[in-house]
Amino acid sequence: MGVSWRKHKSSRATGSRWWLPALPVALFLAGWQLLAGVNLINPSLFPPPTEIASELAELYTSGLPTRSLLIGHVTATLSRLLVASVIGILSGTLAGALMGISSRLYRFFDPLITVLMPVPGIAMAPLFIVWLGFGDPTIIALGSIAAFFPLAYNTAAGVRSIDPQLVRAARMMEAGKGTLLFDVYLPWAAGYVLVGVKLGLARCWRTIIAVEFIAAASWGLGYMIWDAAEYLRAGVVYGGIFLLIIIYFVIEKGLVNTLEKFTVERWGMVQR
Amino acid sequence: MNGDSGRAAAKSIVEFLFPFLVVGLLWELAVRLHLVGMEMLPSPSVIVGKLWTLTIRGVLLHHLASSLYRLAIGYVLAVGLGIIVGVALASRRLLREMFAPVLSMLISVPTIAWVPVLLITMGLGDRTVITAVFLGGFFAITYNTMRGIEMVNQGQLNAARIMGVSGWRLFVEVLLPASLVSVITGLRLGIGYSWRALVGGEMLSALVEWGIGKMVYQARFWNDVAVMLMGLLIIGFSGFLLDRVLLKWLERETVEKWGMLAKR
Repeated sequence: MGVSWRKHKSSRATGSRWWLPALPVALFLAGWQLLAGVNLINPSLFPPPTEIASELAELYTSGLPTRSLLIGHVTATLSRLLVASVIGILSGTLAGALMGISSRLYRFFDPLITVLMPVPGIAMAPLFIVWLGFGDPTIIALGSIAAFFPLAYNTAAGVRSIDPQLVRAARMMEAGKGTLLFDVYLPWAAGYVLVGVKLGLARCWRTIIAVEFIAAASWGLGYMIWDAAEYLRAGVVYGGIFLLIIIYFVIEKGLVNTLEKFTVERWGMVQR
Repeated sequence: MNGDSGRAAAKSIVEFLFPFLVVGLLWELAVRLHLVGMEMLPSPSVIVGKLWTLTIRGVLLHHLASSLYRLAIGYVLAVGLGIIVGVALASRRLLREMFAPVLSMLISVPTIAWVPVLLITMGLGDRTVITAVFLGGFFAITYNTMRGIEMVNQGQLNAARIMGVSGWRLFVEVLLPASLVSVITGLRLGIGYSWRALVGGEMLSALVEWGIGKMVYQARFWNDVAVMLMGLLIIGFSGFLLDRVLLKWLERETVEKWGMLAKR
């Protein structure tokens, strides 16, 4: 119900006055373009938006007959995100479920998770570079770890909040351990798990971009931005960040929508 | 958990540290039995030894002090500006409709992604790191302040207005207490983001020489895994302590505020 309320409100707001949020952005871009055009701000540090766009277009067309440079960077990052988030989400959910069921496991692992969670992925990068070398293994490992924690944490919280009556009822009906885990605990905790998935995906994305700054071999959006910054190609840096915004916006909207469908379906199943 | 008696506190500290002890012992055992190589994974005793030498030489303290200095400046700026902007967005409908969508898009940008821009525009030193810390906290605090104030009961607000409360007093005595839960959520999220931005910023800014993130990054050039692991543990524990200490303090403040409100 919270969801429908939000949708209603936002559609009404964007329906009547959709141009309002576009206004400051347009003014900002126009002002930037103007000031950089007359050299009031240094155009090599703040290249005008048109130049950023043409830099991006150039990156897209370079190497095009075989493989576009820009598309190559984007797909490298996205495929790392896919692999790392799947590993992190699955292992995190499993660990969280186990921690939720056994309070002894919870008491043991909770302190470890609380201390490891605030460590940013990029800080672990030097260590993992020593262990796994530059490139995909390090990036994917750190991305998985980043996604793991929110899932373990939220799933454990969800499973621990279960109504003990339900467990007793299932036990009376002679449910095995597997049935209990997959048919009782996890559906109950589904809402928590979904929140964990959203948080985990965001963390995974952030970590992958950051680790690509220092550990990517030669592909990835993070690598692209970092490389451009080192050679003072400001246009590519701004263009890259613009792409980061757009891509994550699409991922989040797409994900939220599918997750909503997923919960609604769950609801239907429960009611039936 | 937050039992006031000393014994309960001591017990919960022991319970908290117990898993680290067990993992440390297993780890030490694995290294001693040559299950893993020393270069890849030095034993906890080596890490503790490193911790000791760096502490008595004052190196560690210097790293920590420079990190905390940057964190303090950046975070305080983020709190101040974040609350002001959040209040402005919440109290003027036009401003909110104009800037809230931009804000929610900017929130999704990983703070660390701003660092290359800052390196280009603000140089490779302290200013870049402090700005990254600021940006990390600013968006979360602004957003949550805005949400908190939006959700304040309109009736309560009107009642205060009728009684002649307006301007600064309305803000301090009505709006802020009523939205405090959400504001504090923002402050907590903010310190987490700022902390991560600090560590990342220090690692990426070439002219920064001191700082806990820099310590870990520099260890890479000597493949000094012991220093890396020690740094990670310190980063984790400090982040945890910042959250706990700040949270605990703020909780007490809110409880007090609630108490005050109830008495009135």
